[in-house]
Amino acid sequence: MLYFPPLTTVITARAERWAQKRQGVDRPSTRLRSGRIYILPTGVGAIFALMTFAMLLGSMNYNNNLSFLLTFVLAGLGFVSMHQCQRNLVDLEVSFAGVDPVFAGQSAEFRIAVTNHSRNRRHNIQLFSGTTRSSVRDLGPGESRVFHLGIPTERRGYTQLDRYGIRTLFPFELFHAWAWLHMELRCLVYPKPADRSPPPPPSQTAHGHRQHDARGEEDFAGFRQFHDGDSPRHVAWKAYARSGELLSKQFAGADTSSQWFDFDRVSAADTETRLSILTRWIVDAERTQRDFGLRTPGREIPPSHGDAHRHRCLEALAMFKHTNRARAAA
Amino acid sequence: MKKRSGTDGSLLASLPWTLAALSLSLAPHIQYLPPWISGAFFACAAGRWQIERKRWRLPPAWFRGVLALAGFIGVFASYDSVSGVGPGSALLAVMAALKLLETRQRRDQFVLLFISIFLIMSSLLREQYIWSLPFLLAAITLTMTAWLRMSVTTGVTIRDSFRTGGRLLLYAAPLTLAMWIFFPRIATPFWAVPIDTSGASSGLSDRMSPGDISSLSLSDAVAFRVNFESSAPPPSRRYWRGLVLHRFNGRTWSGNDPAIDSRAKENIEAIGDPVRYQVTMEPTQQQWVFALDIPYELSLENTHMGPQQQLVRSQPVDRRIAYEAVSYLRYNTDFDLSRTARTWYLRFPDDSNPRTVEKARQMRRAAASDASFIENVLQMFHEEEYFYTLEPPALGNNPVDRFLFDTRQGFCEHYASAFALMMRAAGLPSRIVLGYQGGEMNPIGEYMIVRQSDAHAWTEVWLQGRGWLRIDPTAAVAPERIDSGMSGARFGEAGASWGLTAPARWLYSLGLTWDALNEKWNGWILGYGPEAQGRFMQWLGMEEPNWRKMVLTLLTLVLALICAISFLLVRRYRPPKKDEAARIYRQFVRKTGVLPDLGETPHAYAARVVRANAAPEGAAHNITASYLDARYGPPDARALAALQSAVRGFKASIAGRYENRLPSLRGS
Repeated sequence: MLYFPPLTTVITARAERWAQKRQGVDRPSTRLRSGRIYILPTGVGAIFALMTFAMLLGSMNYNNNLSFLLTFVLAGLGFVSMHQCQRNLVDLEVSFAGVDPVFAGQSAEFRIAVTNHSRNRRHNIQLFSGTTRSSVRDLGPGESRVFHLGIPTERRGYTQLDRYGIRTLFPFELFHAWAWLHMELRCLVYPKPADRSPPPPPSQTAHGHRQHDARGEEDFAGFRQFHDGDSPRHVAWKAYARSGELLSKQFAGADTSSQWFDFDRVSAADTETRLSILTRWIVDAERTQRDFGLRTPGREIPPSHGDAHRHRCLEALAMFKHTNRARAAA
Repeated sequence: MKKRSGTDGSLLASLPWTLAALSLSLAPHIQYLPPWISGAFFACAAGRWQIERKRWRLPPAWFRGVLALAGFIGVFASYDSVSGVGPGSALLAVMAALKLLETRQRRDQFVLLFISIFLIMSSLLREQYIWSLPFLLAAITLTMTAWLRMSVTTGVTIRDSFRTGGRLLLYAAPLTLAMWIFFPRIATPFWAVPIDTSGASSGLSDRMSPGDISSLSLSDAVAFRVNFESSAPPPSRRYWRGLVLHRFNGRTWSGNDPAIDSRAKENIEAIGDPVRYQVTMEPTQQQWVFALDIPYELSLENTHMGPQQQLVRSQPVDRRIAYEAVSYLRYNTDFDLSRTARTWYLRFPDDSNPRTVEKARQMRRAAASDASFIENVLQMFHEEEYFYTLEPPALGNNPVDRFLFDTRQGFCEHYASAFALMMRAAGLPSRIVLGYQGGEMNPIGEYMIVRQSDAHAWTEVWLQGRGWLRIDPTAAVAPERIDSGMSGARFGEAGASWGLTAPARWLYSLGLTWDALNEKWNGWILGYGPEAQGRFMQWLGMEEPNWRKMVLTLLTLVLALICAISFLLVRRYRPPKKDEAARIYRQFVRKTGVLPDLGETPHAYAARVVRANAAPEGAAHNITASYLDARYGPPDARALAALQSAVRGFKASIAGRYENRLPSLRGS
């Protein structure tokens, strides 16, 4: 059986491709020129136009000058709202403001900052990508606001946001003005942590003995000066609030144990499950402040802890296949 | 079972304004609607608002279904027809009420606002008074502002919304005006739908039963207005011919013949100079068209002369119409009356009003000729004890007998009826003419107003060799009624105070001014039809205006105006220029009138301005700080806006101006 996609989908896809070819790739911070803002009437706009036309016929039929006036007020408002709608977007500055890595299955929250450089308010601005919509916000004069575009993710690796748009229906939702932006944004997606996983391999002390009590981590040992790289969870915020001095809490045994998470030693059938289990271990280990190292074919990350370390490990897992393939090629 | 959740309060910002818009649009309909419809609407509006406030649930679907069915049946029961403005607006009101009860989402309000617009439209179809214009503007502003409120983000106040709505309407105003002026008007409608079948007809009825109604209700409402080409005829000649009744059953006169008779005009022999004038007639929902006795020519389409020189329109006058007419005040008609026609005009029931018939025959026998008989009857009305009153006693059977011999009080209908019957009894063909008599000149605007209270009945008697003669027996009883041209309302007891006391006179002239305004309104705004538009186009310099030229002009203008609007919007959203701060600061310097020295810092300058009493210290420091912030701080439109408002609010004190005028004083 032949499958015909809906006409609107085809037209939209064509238009999007045409726009991309026309505009090229945008810089991470882009001012919207009037030439790249598209505008079409909405369904409400079509009904409004039909109603105005019917009212015109009625006015002509009854030769009623007051209803002519009403009709022309509405027609005039239609024209005005078309231009107002388009101008509501022109000269806004759209910039990429970052995105944090997520686990597969979570939505990647792209942060996009929109700045209004004019002295007048921009109403009802919204970002969109596909069927995803950000919240609708106003931008006061000179105001800059960060919009969140949550793009659902499925697989680890990079998720791309090739195209997103900014749009407005202001003032009367009779017209829909929008602009497409192509910034080639991407977000790193970690593997999804396994729901059920075998217990992680046992921790080892520096001497090779199994540490007798993992809860030693929770034994408070004292404070020391904050160093870059310390987890914010260990900062003594109460002390900071009192004295203004940044201190890190020290826990007994926190530095003494370490674990090795080895890709080849995970007992699971396929690669993705293994990655999933490794991810789970890393997440859990980081939550309990244990040192851990990661060993994958061709790569070894020595035991450590902290957000940067966690990210390094998870990124290695996220990009795993690529390195694997590279190795196979070599 | 799924539990229906209550409303979420998401409509709190917009719903009250949607309700306000709907209520305002409905307001002009309320006096015409059956009370249960307005009641139902306001009940639903109040209920829906309460539901939203208290987060209650909306009524269940079956309940709304039952309500809908009841509502529509109710409308059909209240109105016989479903076309026209009356039932239409009733249906709109019912639909709005029902839609309110199922309005859950923001976007559902679109339907309500569309209904609001249709309600405004239908109220304009029904009535076009002067105040209809401000009503239209207010209602559309409120409706469009409610429209904006629908998609408003948090933190936008209703004032902001009104400002935005007003700004957009202001942008649209030139476009609207251009379209209104240049959109070609056409004369003939596409289809004839009665505007309002429910509205009561005003004006004259097509039958007359003196004595049935014991008092005449006299409304001051305008029947029509007349512009004479030259001077107006004297009051005693202002007879406005309407319908002619010739059938009498002893009680009621009827039998106006609406058939078209092309020979009717041929039967008029005009004498003297014609009177040319233009009549603007208010809608009556009736077919009769009025013209000075006797009408000769008329420029109204679908209107013809009946066999008794009355003017009949093939469709009711359901809107204000204007026509040019030519009349002759002196004329002869129907020299030859056929035998059949003559019997028609002589017929009356033998067994009714015996005393009147007897009296008439007696008087005829006593008189030398028909003419002197007529003279004698009029004399009788004039000399015997007959009274003109607008509140005569009711008459039972044989009303003419009762009136003539017992009560002896009545108004025009009584006298006309009695007189016509007496003529017939004596063998003279007679008939009753209904129309208006009189009309007052409005000194403001130089036109004549004829009111409903000028309604009048008189008689026509046919004499061999002279044709139909107009005889007004009321004139014999109350000559002031005819000669002064004062209408009944101001003549009768009820209106006796008119024109006597100063406040009343003041009120009266105020009334005339208001009427003159209305006349202009009718002529310029409502009467802007094909001819008026053509004249206006010529005045604007368009040669031989036709619809093509007008459409072309319209399109050009609309395009130009849209460009202008676009330019305005570009300016509006243009980022401020780099040195905008300096420009605004210079305004401040100009206002203080103190010249800055070369190389003087803004702070030093501000201190000097304060010392010179050219500006209060607070304002000077505020402006200086804003200026430094806006010019040297990080780019921020808010700082600029602050500077702008500070400078705008700043008023230089006298000392500064003084110093500016005498720069030599500075520094001494």
